[in-house]
Amino acid sequence: MQDTIVEKVLKHPKYAELVQRRTRVSMVFFTIALVIYSGFILTLAYMPDVFAQPLGEGWTMSVGVLTGILVIFSAVIMISLYVYLSNKIFDPLLEAIVRDVE
Amino acid sequence: MKKFLLSTALLSMFAQPAFAATGQANTSAIVMFLVFIAGTMVITWWAARKTQTTSDFYTAGGGITGFQNGLAIAGDYISAASFLGIAGMVYVSGFDGIIYAIGFLFGWPVVMFLVAERLRNLGRFNFADVTAFRLEQTPMRILAASASLLIIALYLIAQMVGAGKLIVLLFGLEYKIAVVIIGTLMMIYVFFGGMTATTWVQIIKAVLMLCGGTLLAALVLMAFNWNPDAMLAEAVSVHPSGAELMAPGAAVSSNPLNALSLGLALAFGTAGLPHILMRFFTVSSAKEARKSVIWASSFIGYFYLLTFIIGFGAVALLVRHPEFYTGLAGDNSNMLTTLIGGTNMAAVHLSNAVGGSLLLGFLAAVTFATIVAVVAGLALAGAAAIAHDLYANVIARGRSTEKQEMRISKISTLVLGVLAVLLGIVFEDQNVAFMVGLAFAIAASANFPVLVLSISWRGCTTRGATIGGFLGLTFATLWVVLSKTVWVDVFGNADPITPFPNPGIFSIPLAFFTIWFFSVTDKSARAVKERDAFTALTVRSQTGIGRSGAQDH
Repeated sequence: MQDTIVEKVLKHPKYAELVQRRTRVSMVFFTIALVIYSGFILTLAYMPDVFAQPLGEGWTMSVGVLTGILVIFSAVIMISLYVYLSNKIFDPLLEAIVRDVE
Repeated sequence: MKKFLLSTALLSMFAQPAFAATGQANTSAIVMFLVFIAGTMVITWWAARKTQTTSDFYTAGGGITGFQNGLAIAGDYISAASFLGIAGMVYVSGFDGIIYAIGFLFGWPVVMFLVAERLRNLGRFNFADVTAFRLEQTPMRILAASASLLIIALYLIAQMVGAGKLIVLLFGLEYKIAVVIIGTLMMIYVFFGGMTATTWVQIIKAVLMLCGGTLLAALVLMAFNWNPDAMLAEAVSVHPSGAELMAPGAAVSSNPLNALSLGLALAFGTAGLPHILMRFFTVSSAKEARKSVIWASSFIGYFYLLTFIIGFGAVALLVRHPEFYTGLAGDNSNMLTTLIGGTNMAAVHLSNAVGGSLLLGFLAAVTFATIVAVVAGLALAGAAAIAHDLYANVIARGRSTEKQEMRISKISTLVLGVLAVLLGIVFEDQNVAFMVGLAFAIAASANFPVLVLSISWRGCTTRGATIGGFLGLTFATLWVVLSKTVWVDVFGNADPITPFPNPGIFSIPLAFFTIWFFSVTDKSARAVKERDAFTALTVRSQTGIGRSGAQDH
């Protein structure tokens, strides 16, 4: 019984599409997150002077503090984008599969 | 001036020796805390009636919404350590406090993109359900339970000791009494109300914390005409580090490998923390799990931004109040060493400075509530590891009834509660600063690699996962024990054996490599079966089909 459901899902034309696209999207997002995060850590570890500079004439806030704040925003934005894509692209595919199989 | 021990700074909030003996009761704090207790007791009474089955007990019956779960996760994450600890670190060394916040926050993209949805589709009660989905029950459960219980014990000790000292200061209670109060409340919530009560305690506390933090940050910014840069300018002008406050600290640049290592453990540790992963089974579907992450990360990110304002605001404003110091010098040169209660009390003093004793009382009460809530979540995850993994699936080999498992989990809750109190008392005067860092390192080096590879790599076998997981666990633990934070600071040896305190940069790749190596060389019949079972696992993890009907494991 369980096997037939698995087989049905595997044969469904949209299943391969779902897995492929979702895997690609999550890998791309994960890579971007990793690049942003390790970029931040590597910069502060090996090039602290870059982060130490003030934003500009008359500013106290440094490049590092602003970057840190932007990095926090980037995490939330990436997650939101991923959820948006999931709702828009993956959920309809998934619903189609579930409808046909069950 | 920025003497800053990277590995321990955040965590050392739990080891401030200056905490004791300055306690004084704050009436509004006590009243507000009693109101909180009364409210949560009503919730527990309500939740107890809904807590009949193991599913109710471990996962609130899966009836929590994504938004509620996101708040509860934020509640788990915005512990006293992140609130007081990060604000305190910003107070001490400015920019460096931001590094920790970002490390903790970046655990969330990792959770979202690698595990959250698949975790929800594959498991029932805890993440061991997922690692044991196609691999052999006994070794995977033992591995998951060992790592989880160690992580939970380290976290519990750190929370109990930190909490005890904090409460001595905020409420003027005796240390032992404070620890017993926390342990007792935690046992009541979990024993009677299970996950339902624990979740609602977390939600209430998260809302209170977000409101309190927002108010505090707003009052600080108001003092600078809503101009954050004016606040920073004032902070730089009064702080002994001066403009360095805006730059990465000396310890970071003097040992970049340690910084990287810590960064890795923080970012990957979240996806291996048993009490956090368990929260994903309280929602009904992968879609709700996704919503949980988006809400959790938004609230956590927002709260960290508040914490920066609070930390820099404390630098700028506290020196105007010599009464918060034990003899502040005219040039503020000793503003870090003379703050009453230690630098982790910066946020607490700040609330008094900008909001008076009412805001102080409110924040003190919320902090107490925070600790109780976090400890309850830990106890629940511990009870699941004992009753669901070790008892039901290893000892009874899946033949126990739901009633028996429920009874064992309730007994485990009581045992964990008593143990937490005892450990809190035993470790009262010990240096527990390394414990949360070690917990994250173990989570990142044992649970995370096993979880990720078992759900996303066909080739992963029981042999590889078991050897790799235990090696990551052992390596990370030994490394920390032999490092400065334990070998020198706790055991009193002259020199550390490991070059820097954070193992992540070695232990995480080591675990991944070992799992890979012992999986690809595994030619057993079991390994063939496990690789074949990956197809069914993928179907289920991608679609969730078959999840509702899954009653085994």
